[in-house]
Amino acid sequence: MSIIEIKHVNKGYMLGDEKVPVLKDINFSVEKGEFVAILGPSGSGKTTLMNIIGCMDLLDSGEYYLNGRAIHETTEKDMTQVRNKEIGFIFQNYQLISTYNVMQNIIMPLLMRGMGHKEAEEKCQEIVKLLSIDHRLEHRPNELSGGQKQRVSIARALASEPAILLADEPTGALDTVSGQEVLKLFGKLNEMGNTIVMITHDLKVAQAAKRIVKIVDGRLSDYDGTYN
Amino acid sequence: MRISEILRLVMLNLSQNKFKVILTSVGIIVGSATIMMVLAIGTGGKLEVAEQFKNLNAGAIDISYESNATEFGSGGRDGGGGMPNMGGGFGGGGGFPSGGGMPDMGNGMPDMGGMNDDRMNQEKIVLSTEDMEDLAVFVPNIADTTISYTTTTEVEGGDLDSASSYTIAGVKSNYMSISNLELAMGEFLSDENDENKEKYCVLGYSIAKEIFGSVYEAYESVIYIDSRPYVVRGVLSEMGSVASGISPDTTIFIPYETGIKYITGEDVSPTITVIAEDVDEVDIVKENIESVLADSYANAEFTITDAGSKMEAASKSNETLQILLVAMAVIVFCVGGIGIMNVLFVSVKERTNEIGILKALGCSQKDILMEFLMEACFMSFIGAVLGVMLALGITPIVESFSVRVELSISGGLLSLAFGVITGTIFGFYPAYKASTLIPVVALNQE
Repeated sequence: MSIIEIKHVNKGYMLGDEKVPVLKDINFSVEKGEFVAILGPSGSGKTTLMNIIGCMDLLDSGEYYLNGRAIHETTEKDMTQVRNKEIGFIFQNYQLISTYNVMQNIIMPLLMRGMGHKEAEEKCQEIVKLLSIDHRLEHRPNELSGGQKQRVSIARALASEPAILLADEPTGALDTVSGQEVLKLFGKLNEMGNTIVMITHDLKVAQAAKRIVKIVDGRLSDYDGTYN
Repeated sequence: MRISEILRLVMLNLSQNKFKVILTSVGIIVGSATIMMVLAIGTGGKLEVAEQFKNLNAGAIDISYESNATEFGSGGRDGGGGMPNMGGGFGGGGGFPSGGGMPDMGNGMPDMGGMNDDRMNQEKIVLSTEDMEDLAVFVPNIADTTISYTTTTEVEGGDLDSASSYTIAGVKSNYMSISNLELAMGEFLSDENDENKEKYCVLGYSIAKEIFGSVYEAYESVIYIDSRPYVVRGVLSEMGSVASGISPDTTIFIPYETGIKYITGEDVSPTITVIAEDVDEVDIVKENIESVLADSYANAEFTITDAGSKMEAASKSNETLQILLVAMAVIVFCVGGIGIMNVLFVSVKERTNEIGILKALGCSQKDILMEFLMEACFMSFIGAVLGVMLALGITPIVESFSVRVELSISGGLLSLAFGVITGTIFGFYPAYKASTLIPVVALNQE
């Protein structure tokens, strides 16, 4: 069963009076439990694709089904709920709220669902142990290393038990060792059954995934072993 | 998102920005303090007016005469009498007509039917007991009449080391009931005292204490007015401050005729006080008084003032002041509210990335709106509480300027409510702007 199914999606942005196409007739699907990397150079449209997969942007035409739900037909309000329940975001620069401590950051998606903070904290205990951040729960993001911040970001993404983990350049701000650790962690999470879609410009990072698709000039294709 | 969780986040945000919260709230602090002080000063003013008019007979009408002749009514001697709160005709303060400068009297000088020419008030007229009796006979709907005057003269006796000047009021026996005065001890002056020109007096409360040390010591003692001995027949209860005219606490009351015989002679400007049977008929009674007096004195204009108009004028004056203060408070609140709005706009700008994260994680527009609105609400609540505390703090300072301040719980609650409502209203737009940010744009904002 496909978790993500994208058919003939087009997306462009207005540049003055002219519309510049960014995504051109994208067809793409991800099966449940897959670990897919979308590989593309800067300006190729991969971030736009990620925003569409992550329900943060609307497509111009085409169809997008996420976990069986027709996203192209949903309203902004419904998309907010989809983001909360179906997608776990992992950002390049972590995107942690600086005024909240680690635990407060992790439980945010659950609080947004209407869960109380005590219940949410209990629910996240296993995740923080799995990610080895259980000793830093009271710390603020600025008291953590880059690797730790990214693990907090991953923990937050996992907390809501989403249909997919959507990672945007997850190692982009990390040193090599920390980056490798994060990629290992992704492998482990995938083995545990999580579906992961990772967007990167780095072939070495993409190779940590089980499947690679390439995006160049807004067109998606299977990775054929060539990438500049 | 649960309200309790939004509240928790709001408290978390506020607790980490204490200084900003205080600075943001300055406008609300000032606004709330102003509202509370306005209400307290307004209430104080109302009570002050009520107290000053407490022994006023609402149906009382004072009639006095001011001569245009320069030698008359300019020395402070032989001033008018009248009701304690009604002003003293002329002479008490230097020959000015009664009315005490109250605005909008709506009466004062009546239109005497085209007699306002140079001949008016040229002759010297002394209102007399006969005039009073004429009014009692010819003016219908009158409950009572009295005549009185005030003068200032030397008084000795009691604990006084030397002669001192005091206000002496020559009054009839019914003056006490007409003026709603109360006795602390003894009796008021009688008709016999007046007819026989007996040297009795009744002391005001403050004077009794000043001259004799106590009311008890004063009673049946002797004081010397203009070097003549007067027996203290009674002492009045403390009446407090009055708007104008005879202040009972600081006046020595003597029989009307006694005063004319021994102190003032005929050089006196009395005030006749007429009590209308029905307060609603005061205007008609005033017209009739004018007619009767016009028959007796063709070329004279009398100053006729009624207590109700004075009360109304004083109340209106107080209300105007309060409206002015409220307007000032509203302006302060608007400025405070705009301050909150500005800071919240800056806050939204500063926290755009945070809003983007929240939106990406699935926080609804409603929850973000609620969070920012609650922050505005709490900031203004904190400001309002500090404002109330400020008002409490500055009350003694304001009171030191002889301004009566009547703080009240309802005033405090109202200023709290005004503060919170203002902050929340002005906080709405920035909160709305925050809630409508586009997630992708907000997320990429540094």
